[in-house]
Amino acid sequence: MEDARKRSYGTRDRFTTVKWFLQASSGMFLVFFMAVHLYVAHINGGSPIELFDSIVRNLSNPWWLAFFLVFVWIITYHALNGVKGIVYDMGVSRRMKRYVSYTFIGIYLATVVYGTILALIVASTVSA
Amino acid sequence: MTEHKASIISWFRFDRKGLGFFAYSMHRFSGVVIVFYLYLHYAVLSNLLRGQATFDAVVRAAAYGPYGIFIVMDVLLTVVIFYHGANGVRLMLNEMGLGLAHHKALFFVLEAGAMALMLLFLYYAWQAVLSGSGL
Repeated sequence: MEDARKRSYGTRDRFTTVKWFLQASSGMFLVFFMAVHLYVAHINGGSPIELFDSIVRNLSNPWWLAFFLVFVWIITYHALNGVKGIVYDMGVSRRMKRYVSYTFIGIYLATVVYGTILALIVASTVSA
Repeated sequence: MTEHKASIISWFRFDRKGLGFFAYSMHRFSGVVIVFYLYLHYAVLSNLLRGQATFDAVVRAAAYGPYGIFIVMDVLLTVVIFYHGANGVRLMLNEMGLGLAHHKALFFVLEAGAMALMLLFLYYAWQAVLSGSGL
């Protein structure tokens, strides 16, 4: 067991390990979030053409609203961090990695801000 | 530390590379597919702002598509999501030092479990589709 752990972490610096931990832990959260989402949207939500009512009903509940906001923040982080890792593995230079990183941070912020505003607008429209 | 280049095409060169490479390649490929779908999903959800009639029309078109072909694509997407999730769990367990000695068996067990859950999900989701399509 100890040898296996050394094999896993032995070649990584601390920052890389933290980034790996964030990617892995966000992935574990997503297993749970995705299971709930698939159930609520595709089984409990009824037929696809009833989704509007299902979505607005859920978003008018503050707990579901919080759930979906955290879901958006985490899944977007996990997704973009994964794509960034793929781009890094394409052999980009250290300098270029910095620009790639800034680009992905920008895409992340734009996505979560947009997703948050969208959810809040829909929720406020329903409760108004 | 040696840098290694990995083009996307090289993900699909499976010859003599073993199960580990297949799992690695498919994890990345499935991840890219999910990211593409994620942003498509956000785009569809943006139609919530355009009211129920527009949103329902968009979702109905996106749910069924011409000749129901989008349902086939949804099933393929479901395979990709469940594969990615199960392999992600395996990777995390392996990184924690669990199941490393039997990582191939762990891969098959987790993927089989995920596919069984997926079939269960598809069965119930299909009931919902049938109830709304008038099929």
